[in-house]
Amino acid sequence: MHLMQPDKHSRRAFLRRSGHLALMGAAAPLGLNLAAMGEAAAFNANDYKALVCVFLFGGNDHANTVVAYDNASHTDYARIRAAGAGTAAGSIALQRSTLEATRLRPLAPLPGGVEYALHPRMTGLAGLFNTGRAAVQLNVGPLVVPTTRQQYFSGAVPLPPKLFSHNDQQSVWQSQEAEGSSRGWGGNIGDLALGSNGNALFTCISVTGNTVFLAGRDALQYQCSTAGAVPVKATKDQFFYEPAMRSAFAEMIQQPRTHMLENEYNRVMRRSLGAESQVNGALAGVTLGTAFPSANPLAAQLRMVARLIGARNTLGMKRQVFMVSLGGFDLHDDMVGRQPGQLGQVSEAISAFYQATVELGLSDKVTTFTASDFGRTLTSNGDGTDHGWGSHHIVVGGAVRGQTFYGTPPPISTGDTGAPQDQWHIGQGRLLPSTSVDQFGATLAKWFGVSAGEMGEILPNIGNFGGNDYPIDLGFMAA
Amino acid sequence: MQAMMGEEHEENSRSGSVQATGAAMATAALLAACGGGDTPPAAMLDGRAAVSKPELLEVQGSGARRSLAAPTPDQLMDWAERQFPHLFAPSASQRVADGLVYRFYSGTGNYLGVRDGQVLLLGPATGGQLVNAGQLADFVDALVPQDRVDNDEDAARFLHHAAFGASDTDIASVRQKGYAGWLEDQLNMPMGQSKWDWLVSQGYMTLTDRQFFFFNDLCQFPVWRDLMSAPDMVRQRWALALSELFVISVPSIGGSLNWPGFAGAHFWDTLAYHGFSNFRTLLEAVTLHPAMGAFLNTRGNQKEDPASGRVPDENYAREVMQLFTIGLHDLNLDGTPRLNANGQPTDSYGQSDVTNLARVFTGYDLDFRGLGSVGNSPVPPYYSIQDPRYLQRPMQFIAERHSTLEKRFLGVHIPAGTPGPEALRIALDTLFNHPNTGPFFARQMIQRLVASHPDPDYVARVAAKFNDNGAGVRGDLKAVLRAILLDKAARGPAGLYSRTFGKLREPIMRIANWARAFKVRSLASTWKFNVGNWDTEADLQQYPLAAPSVFNFFRPGYVPPSTEMATQGATAPEFQLVSESSVSAYINYLQNIVYQGAWIGNPAEAGFPRDNLGVTYMPDIVPDYSAEFALVGNTLLLVQRLNILLAGGQLSPATQDFIVNALRIDRIRADSPDEFKRIHVARAILFVMASAEYLIQK
Repeated sequence: MHLMQPDKHSRRAFLRRSGHLALMGAAAPLGLNLAAMGEAAAFNANDYKALVCVFLFGGNDHANTVVAYDNASHTDYARIRAAGAGTAAGSIALQRSTLEATRLRPLAPLPGGVEYALHPRMTGLAGLFNTGRAAVQLNVGPLVVPTTRQQYFSGAVPLPPKLFSHNDQQSVWQSQEAEGSSRGWGGNIGDLALGSNGNALFTCISVTGNTVFLAGRDALQYQCSTAGAVPVKATKDQFFYEPAMRSAFAEMIQQPRTHMLENEYNRVMRRSLGAESQVNGALAGVTLGTAFPSANPLAAQLRMVARLIGARNTLGMKRQVFMVSLGGFDLHDDMVGRQPGQLGQVSEAISAFYQATVELGLSDKVTTFTASDFGRTLTSNGDGTDHGWGSHHIVVGGAVRGQTFYGTPPPISTGDTGAPQDQWHIGQGRLLPSTSVDQFGATLAKWFGVSAGEMGEILPNIGNFGGNDYPIDLGFMAA
Repeated sequence: MQAMMGEEHEENSRSGSVQATGAAMATAALLAACGGGDTPPAAMLDGRAAVSKPELLEVQGSGARRSLAAPTPDQLMDWAERQFPHLFAPSASQRVADGLVYRFYSGTGNYLGVRDGQVLLLGPATGGQLVNAGQLADFVDALVPQDRVDNDEDAARFLHHAAFGASDTDIASVRQKGYAGWLEDQLNMPMGQSKWDWLVSQGYMTLTDRQFFFFNDLCQFPVWRDLMSAPDMVRQRWALALSELFVISVPSIGGSLNWPGFAGAHFWDTLAYHGFSNFRTLLEAVTLHPAMGAFLNTRGNQKEDPASGRVPDENYAREVMQLFTIGLHDLNLDGTPRLNANGQPTDSYGQSDVTNLARVFTGYDLDFRGLGSVGNSPVPPYYSIQDPRYLQRPMQFIAERHSTLEKRFLGVHIPAGTPGPEALRIALDTLFNHPNTGPFFARQMIQRLVASHPDPDYVARVAAKFNDNGAGVRGDLKAVLRAILLDKAARGPAGLYSRTFGKLREPIMRIANWARAFKVRSLASTWKFNVGNWDTEADLQQYPLAAPSVFNFFRPGYVPPSTEMATQGATAPEFQLVSESSVSAYINYLQNIVYQGAWIGNPAEAGFPRDNLGVTYMPDIVPDYSAEFALVGNTLLLVQRLNILLAGGQLSPATQDFIVNALRIDRIRADSPDEFKRIHVARAILFVMASAEYLIQK
C-alpha cells in the first residue's frame, strides 16, 4: 500500500549524492558545506526552523490528558471510568472540580458545547493553549487509508501493522512500518534539509535513545547526551601518556572494517570522535537563562535541544529535526498515582522549552509536538487502562495556530452498537483515529518547507488522504 | 553453490531421519527378536553389501577440518547415541567381532558398527538392510567439535558463547573435557548459593536506617558477583539470557513492592533454577512470580464488573504471547514468518485473543497469608514493613476475583465456569504447545548467545530440539542450550571467516569478560558492584534486571537504520544501544575500572553510601593481573594472551600487530616498576576491549 515513488526529482537525486558524501566518508563530512552548492538549497532556507518530537513511550492515556470537561461529556467519562469496587480498584476518572484551572478556552467553541481540560498537572501547557501558543489535535493515530469501524472489523481496508503492540506502534508512528523499519518521517524530512545545512550530520539529532524517526535515506540520527557530546577521554587525557599511543588508539577505534558489524560500530565511533569537539565547542558559546525543572529527564533533554538550537549559527544549521522522549506511560496499574507525575514532567519540560525558544528569539521557528505508541482504552481495568489506538496530541510553538482544537472530538462511548456515538472506537473505547499520522506529519512538514510534490516521499500513505474529512493540511500551522 | 547444496542435503537428511524413525517403530519388535546382539548379523560382518545412505546419520563430510585425525569408533558411537536416541537406545557397550567394532541397541533393535573405517547400520532403522552411513573420517566435523578442543582459541571462543568469557582455568578445563563433556558437567552442576540467600547473609534483610527494603538495586550485587565469579557459569549465563526474554524491571516495581531488591534476586534465582528444567515449568514460575505480577499487573488483576464497566487488565495476556512465547506472526520451524497467498506474514493472534486470555490471568495477588510484618521502619514514619518471604511464594489464586466467563483464544475454548487453576493450566499448555514457541524461543536464545541474525537452518535445528529433545520431550531447556552451543554454526570455523556472522557483545558481557579473564574479586567480599547511570560520560546503558520496559534493552527484531544491516534486513539487537554517546561512554567506563578495578564507596559496609559525607571510595572489585605482569616486556606474548582470554583469539594478526606496535611506544621492560606495568597492562586491555574485533563476537 506504500506509495513510495522512486526518486524523480533531480534535486533530490543530487541531495542523495551529496548526502552520501556528507555522511558516509571518514574525514570529509563535517566541514562539507552543502549550502554553498546552490543546487542543493532544498528549502531555500535563509531562516532557521526546527521540529521537535516529544515521544511519550508506553502509550499515554489520552482520556486523562485531554479530559472531557463539559458536563455531559464528563458525566459519561466519569461513569465509564468509575471501575467499581474491589481491592485494587477505584475510579480512575479525574473529578471535574480538579480541572477548572487547566480548562482549555478555545477561540471558537467546539460544536455541541464540547469542552476539554488538560490534566490538572498540566498547567503550563494549558496556559500555552489559552494564550494561543499551543493547539490540540484530537484523535490522531496511524491509518493506511480512512477507516470506519465497520471496515476495521470486516477487514475491508488495509490497517496499520501490529496494532496495540508497543514496539510496533512506536515504529509505525515514527515510520509507518512495524519494528524493523529503517526510515522515519523525521529522517525523510531531514533528507530534504541536508542541503540547507552546513553540517549535514547535525540535521537530525536525538537527545534520547535510538529511534527510527530520525533515519532517512541519507539523513541519519546523531545522538547527543543531555550533557553534550560524549568525548573519548583516553584520546585526550593522560591515560595513554605518550601522544603517539593516544593517536594510535584513536586510529584503531575508527578503522573501516571488512566485517559488517565491526564496520558499522566503528562508523558510529568515527562520527562520535569527529563531531565531539565541534558540538561541545559550539555549546560552550551558548548561554541560556531560561530555568528548566530539575529531576525531570525530559526537561534535561529539551534543555540540550535548546542549547543546540542556540548553537545553530556556529554549527551552520538552518533546518533541524530533534527527538526527545519520556518513558513510563504504560499505566495498566496505578494510573491515578503515577500519571500525574508523568504529565506534570511533560508540561513543565515543554513549557520551559517554549520559554527558551522565546529567549532565543525563535519561538515562531521551533515547533514541538507530542507523539506516543497509542492511546488507551476508555474502560478501566480497575486501576489503569489498556492498549488503544487513536490519541490526542499537543503542538506547541509561536507558528502554531493555537488556542484551537483540530480534528473531531470523539464521542465518549464504549458501546458496541450501530449508533453514531459508537462509531469512533473499536471496543472498550479504543479510539479509531479520525486523523492519520500522515496528515499530522504532513502539516508539520509543510510548515518546515516540504512541497506538496515531495510529501509522498516523506509520508508514504499521504496520497490516500485528502478532502474535507481527511485534509492533508490540518491547519494547525501558520503558513 | 556449495551452500545451496548443503541446504538441499540437510532437507533430505531431515526427512530421512523421520522415515527412519517411522521404520524403527514399525519393525523394532520383529527384528529385535532375530538378533539380541551377542553375535553380529553375518551381513554386517561381511560389510560388502552395504547400501550407501550418508543421510541416515546426517554426515556432512565437508572436509573443513580434514587435517584432524578421524574419530575413534568409540567416539562415533557415543556421539550417535546422544544425537539419535530414537535409533540407538539404551546406551550399549562396545563389542568386537572379526574386525567389526559394533554396538547393539536392545531398545530399538539397531546395530551400529565400524569396519575398515566404514560406518555400518542394520536394523529397523534401515528396514533390515545393511547401510553404509559414510566413512568414519567424514564425521570429524560433526563429532570433533563436540568432543575435542584443538586449541586455546577454540576453548575460549566456546567459553565466550557458553559462559561469561575465558580464564586460564576454564580454558584448561574445556580442553580437558571437550565441549560436550564440559557443558554436561555444567548442566549437572547444582545451582550455587541463591541470590536471595546471599543477600540475607550480607545482612540486607535487617531493618536498619539504611532502609534496604526500599533498595531496587540490591539484586545487582549478587547478580554481578555471579556474572564475575560463579562456578555455575553456564547456568548464570543462561539466566542472564532468559532475563532478557522474561523481562522484569526492578526499578519500575520498586514503587509498588517492599523489598524490590529481594524480588529481583528471587526472580533471577527462579530463572537460574528452572532454566535447566522445562520451558513449561519456567513459564508457569515466571507467570506467577510476584515480581512479574507487579511488573505486568497480574497482581491484583480482577474479573470484569459489568455494573461499573471494569474489564480485566490485558497487560500480561498480551505480553506473554507477544514477548514470552509465540510472537506476533505465525512462524516456520526456522523462525521465518509464514506468509499468506499475498506474501504477507499472518498474525498469530488478534485483540479478541488478548481480551479472552486476559480473563485467565484474573484472580491473582501477592500471597501474604500467615506472614506479618517484620517490624517498623527504623526511620519516620515508622510504618510496618512486610515480611519479605511473600516474594518467595507464587502469587495466590483468589477464586472470587477470577473471571468465570468462557475464554476463547488461539483456537482453544475454556468453558465458562472452569476453575481458575485449570484455566491457567490450559492457557499455559496452549502457549507452550503452540508451533511458534520453539522457533520463537530458539531464535532469540541464539541471538543472546551466538549470533544476531542467525541462519534459519540453525534456528530450525535448535527449534527442533525444543519440540523434541530426542526422547519425546518438548521444552527441555538443557537440550535447547546444548543445541545452541554445540551446533556447527557456533562451533564450526565458518563463522570466523564470514563478514556478517556474530553479534555485538552486550555491555554487561564486556564487563563480565574482563572480570572472568582477570579473576576479579571483591576484596571486602561485599560485591557492591552496581552499574549506575549517574555519569552520562561513563555509562554502560545496561544493568541486570533493569531494562527500561518489558521490551528489554534491545529488541530481537531491531534493525539499525542507516547501516548495512538495514540494507540487508539483518537484525542486530545490541546495536539498539549503539550511538555516538554510548560508544564513547563505554570506553570511558572501561578506563575507569581497568587500571585498579572498580572503586566502591565504603566497601566494607552493607548497602549504598547514604550521601557524599563520610564516604570513602577505594578499589574493591579488583583484577589479578599477575599473569600479565609476567609478560610485560614481551609485548607480543602479552597481546596474544589478551587476544585469547578476551577475544577468543578473534583479533586478526593485523590488529594484534597494530596493538603491539602501539604498546611498544611505552618502552617498558620486564624490570620496570610495578605501577608502570599496571598502567601498561591496563592500556593493553583498553586497546583490546575497544577494538571492533573484540566487540563483535564471532
